[in-house]
Amino acid sequence: MSFDASAKRGGHAPDRQDRTFWGRLAGWGPYHTLMRLATASPRRQFLILAAFPILWVLTQHLGPMLQMLRVSLTDAYPVAPGVEQSFTLDNYARFFGDSIFWMPFFRTLTFAGVFTLCTLLITYPVAYFLARHVSRRNQMLFLLLLLIPFWVGEIVRTYAIMILLGNTGAVNLVLKTLGLIDRPIPFMYTSFSMGVGIVYLTALYMLLPLYSALEKLPQSMNEAAADLGAGAWTRFRRISLPLTIEGISSGCTLVFLISTGFYATPVLLGGPSTTVFAETIAGFFHVAGDEWPTGAAFATIMFAAALVITAAFQKLMGALRKGDRK
Amino acid sequence: MTKLILNRRRFLGTASITGAALASPAYLRRAMAQSGGEVNIWTYNDFVPEAFREQFESETGIKVNVRLVDDQGKQFNLLAAEQPNPTVDIMTVAGHRFLQFIQSDLLAPLDTDRLSNWSNINPTFSESDWSTINGNKWGVPILSGMEVLSYNTEVVSEEEAMTWDTLFSQEYANQTAYIIQDMFSIIMLKMGYDGNMVEYMDDPEKAAAIVEEAKNFLIEKKPLVRKYYDSGAEFQQMMVNQDIVLGHSWNGPAAALINDGFPLGMTIPREGSYGFVYTFNIANNAPNSENAYTFLDALLASPEIGAAMTKASGFISTYKGASEYLTDLERKSTVFPDEQLANLQFFRAEANEMKYSLVDPAVEAVKAA
Repeated sequence: MSFDASAKRGGHAPDRQDRTFWGRLAGWGPYHTLMRLATASPRRQFLILAAFPILWVLTQHLGPMLQMLRVSLTDAYPVAPGVEQSFTLDNYARFFGDSIFWMPFFRTLTFAGVFTLCTLLITYPVAYFLARHVSRRNQMLFLLLLLIPFWVGEIVRTYAIMILLGNTGAVNLVLKTLGLIDRPIPFMYTSFSMGVGIVYLTALYMLLPLYSALEKLPQSMNEAAADLGAGAWTRFRRISLPLTIEGISSGCTLVFLISTGFYATPVLLGGPSTTVFAETIAGFFHVAGDEWPTGAAFATIMFAAALVITAAFQKLMGALRKGDRK
Repeated sequence: MTKLILNRRRFLGTASITGAALASPAYLRRAMAQSGGEVNIWTYNDFVPEAFREQFESETGIKVNVRLVDDQGKQFNLLAAEQPNPTVDIMTVAGHRFLQFIQSDLLAPLDTDRLSNWSNINPTFSESDWSTINGNKWGVPILSGMEVLSYNTEVVSEEEAMTWDTLFSQEYANQTAYIIQDMFSIIMLKMGYDGNMVEYMDDPEKAAAIVEEAKNFLIEKKPLVRKYYDSGAEFQQMMVNQDIVLGHSWNGPAAALINDGFPLGMTIPREGSYGFVYTFNIANNAPNSENAYTFLDALLASPEIGAAMTKASGFISTYKGASEYLTDLERKSTVFPDEQLANLQFFRAEANEMKYSLVDPAVEAVKAA
């Protein structure tokens, strides 16, 4: 447009070399035709916009899982020279046929459930304080402070827990200095140390949905309830909790799913009686057996179980929401 | 502790540079014929001395790409997935895992005639029975290790550490740790059986009964153990934090702690234990096979390089005369009395398929119990 205008004004038109790459591209005939065809209808525009995310999800998210599913149905992987790969359900039968695998499986689901509940109980008051009692101006600052530990990776934070809870760690040192103990308390390599680690690592995934839900809660509802004589507990039970159930549902789902898949943290912080299913699965991938198909089948079983539990949980939450509306 | 580690690193750096400088003439001559390129190595941390690597690169023009690994099985899976076009030239296989790699066509036979420095390896390692399979050599022995009983000398006496029973005693309950997979072999040996299971290759029922007995023993003793661990670093961390005072370990990580000045001792208990040898192996269809041979020959050029590998890793060098380049403390941490060495035998691979088909589920059972 400016090109024509400047020409009409009598100024000299910029030659092709003066134009930017994008300017030259826009004026290029084939490109122009392609863009006209691509944006000819809203439907085409939608398809073009959706193509990249769909491709991303298919190749980066579903692709590896489908590959894992495929490996779980084979009798050999990686395939050694001279060996013919065939399909089988034996890897799944191995799980259901041998009860020794059930203990770490159910232990993992139990741990994930308990740690999710602990994370909810710990982070809800924090999110409530942040959303309801910190001025809007300072909320971002507080959020930033809460996010600082998440700037470093899972392993580093797990080692931080080890430094805290070890026999010569900070907690035992403080207790000893205060004269409360003579010998260090063996916190490490127990379900307690593993729980502390997992709650610490997943807290953010619970905190953010809760904060988001609590922030939207209208202050006027609580004030009206208080005016009508409702106490703090009643206001929480009848107003805050039902109206934040979506945040609770999202946070719990995220934390539960992440907890079922933790590997490094249980390995580093757990003890002989806290073996989780991820360790069993890892054993098939890299210990002497080198049995990828079995590991893949066990991973698929855990994935399916986590999905079923999550779906049931979501249904329960949905029913609670409907019940509240009635 | 930090200070000790820093001091040790500084010392190692100086020692390695000195060692490599002394060793250099042996491979400078070969370097003249080289035309650069690269060599890709999968190995454990500290197995390729940094000073040697730098000098090798500058003098041969061959870039050394090291990918760190921490497990034999992972290497096997990676290599199996990459064949027949692997990205690796040299990997680090323990002698008792040879067979699995060879049977899967993952290793190339080693042409020792192309290694002019082959004779610098102690024949105990280069010519022993495990090193020759199907009439071929398959790897260059570089470091030797063994399963030992390590103990905090301020808490546990040497006499107590001369038996594996102490590891399962009530006195040190919840102050012990072991690698459960490895412990099966040791428990079988302690019970008077062949932990390699070679003796029972024709009697699978007996083999199963022995593994069952070992499994029941470990389940019974489970309440006494603080941790089943996987890596040497975990063991070191637990010792330093005083979470444990006694544990089964590989001698390498234990020796590294001793060299750091930690009050640690190690024994080969009287019931016996197992040793293993790490070897550098050339992958089948290695993309830079010629460079791999150049690297291996340079690595074997002098005992100082072997000593530098021992200093960094804590494992025992397979090179002739390497111990002459170690300090008294380093020598102490890598040398065992003859009467203890008499209790040592090497891991063997012949019965591995049967052994691990029994031991792997048993390990899961112990963990689940």
